[in-house]
Amino acid sequence: MPVLNVRGATVSYGGRAVVRGADLAVAPGEAVALMGANGSGKSTLIKAVAGLVPLAGGSIELFGTPQKRFRAWKRIGYVPQRTGAASGVPSTAAEVVSQGRLAHRALGMPPRRGDREAVARSLAEVGLADHARCSVDTLSGGQQQRVLIARALATDPELLIMDEPTVGVDAETQAALAAVIAARVDAGCAVLLVTHELGPLTDRLDRAVVLADGKVVHDGAPPRPVGEHADPAHEHVHPHANGHNDSDDLWGGK
Amino acid sequence: MIFEYFQYEFMQRALLSALVVGLCAPTVGVFLVQKRLALIGDGLGHVALTGVAVGFLTGAAPVWTTLAVTVAAAVVMELLRAKSKTSGDVALAMLFYGGLAGGVYLTGIASDKGIANLQQYLFGSLLTAGWSEVWTIVVGGAVVAALMLVLRPWLTAICADEQYARVSGLPVAALNLLLLVTTAVTVSVSMRAVGILLVSALLVIPVVTVQQFTRSFKATMFASMGAGLLISGAGVLTSAAQDVPPGATIVLIGVAAFVATAFIAALTRRVRRTRRGHLPPEGEPLEVELPAKA
Repeated sequence: MPVLNVRGATVSYGGRAVVRGADLAVAPGEAVALMGANGSGKSTLIKAVAGLVPLAGGSIELFGTPQKRFRAWKRIGYVPQRTGAASGVPSTAAEVVSQGRLAHRALGMPPRRGDREAVARSLAEVGLADHARCSVDTLSGGQQQRVLIARALATDPELLIMDEPTVGVDAETQAALAAVIAARVDAGCAVLLVTHELGPLTDRLDRAVVLADGKVVHDGAPPRPVGEHADPAHEHVHPHANGHNDSDDLWGGK
Repeated sequence: MIFEYFQYEFMQRALLSALVVGLCAPTVGVFLVQKRLALIGDGLGHVALTGVAVGFLTGAAPVWTTLAVTVAAAVVMELLRAKSKTSGDVALAMLFYGGLAGGVYLTGIASDKGIANLQQYLFGSLLTAGWSEVWTIVVGGAVVAALMLVLRPWLTAICADEQYARVSGLPVAALNLLLLVTTAVTVSVSMRAVGILLVSALLVIPVVTVQQFTRSFKATMFASMGAGLLISGAGVLTSAAQDVPPGATIVLIGVAAFVATAFIAALTRRVRRTRRGHLPPEGEPLEVELPAKA
């Protein structure tokens, strides 16, 4: 039984179909990338999977349960598209990561030892154990992104859904994160990852699903780097601080 | 001597109510600031004006009519925000206009029934509160503070990142509603102390004052309760000594405290700039290719 089964999903924004009849399945322990150009509908599809945007057609099943009746959200770890971990009032990294344990706690009850251990372990996994008590707005952009990934890991998910987790993260941190994710995959966690660049994270993929104009155009082996990217000596560097320079992002948003 | 004032029972009542409001209002305000809804208290304050006018019109106790009207407005606003395309600031604007107009309109109808009293609700009238009103404030404040302290992690989650909270399966709609209804209760209960027009000051000022120095949400919450207590206590003492309205005095002291701490925080940051708290990770690579040296 797949942990995620999307059939004929259609999502529209104000009458315009952004995702059109997409199928997407993720088996237990499988690592799948959802790829495509900006505007291809990959972020929208993943938001539909997470229950953040409604379906106009088709169906989504999570762990064999139709999404409408699905309640076991603690089995899913979610890393939203990059927003930064900081908010209006200062919060420490540990406080943000402990949000990942709330689904395991009864409303109004104090954290148990298992909750505190999961928070400490996830922070250590992403290499921020020393920064647990630091306010997140004093952390760098890449460190904030690692806090958000630690928050998803703290849930002890069986399915990890990540929406462009490595945008704006330097190459070394990307490699470190790829190792963290790979360890979770080895432990049996399924991964669904939205990305539009090949990098350390995509090396461990079992499968890639490519969207174009809201439709699935490829479902199978992950694409291999071509051109200079295929050169083993190629140093994957980015001229901009935010790590990518495709034209859709020219105005700083999507 | 300033303590002579407190041999009068009305001064004891005034001090007690102001301290309770100062202690409890920031527990709600810290979430509103995090949600970037700092003005919601003021919006509901305008609606409270309609509630007071309903009280004049019906002869019921204004505290209860205000409570009913502000809670109803909070529910409508949350439904508008969640179910329709109305954005938070548009819904807030509607609260300001509608609340003020409703209050003026209804007091116009009830013009023979105590319009002279409206001013005491606009700017607060701590000194005329009776013991029953003081107990309403104490009980209301205790309930609000207890609820906010117990639910802190959940409310933080929905205020900081509502989408993530939704994917975690938290009851986001119910918690949002709870926060707004609690705000409405706080506004209705504390209008005695600082008045309808100034009520959002005690929700917001203690929080934004202490958060310039705090690192964690928990510390911000507790420190803002302490700051609220100090600000409202100092306000009542000063107003007693100078015989001026306590509400305005409390707010002015709060604003002064905020401006002073903002300057001090800017100064300390400047001093600390040489020793950064968070060095970049060891060996973080340069994100550009350096040209080869000639």
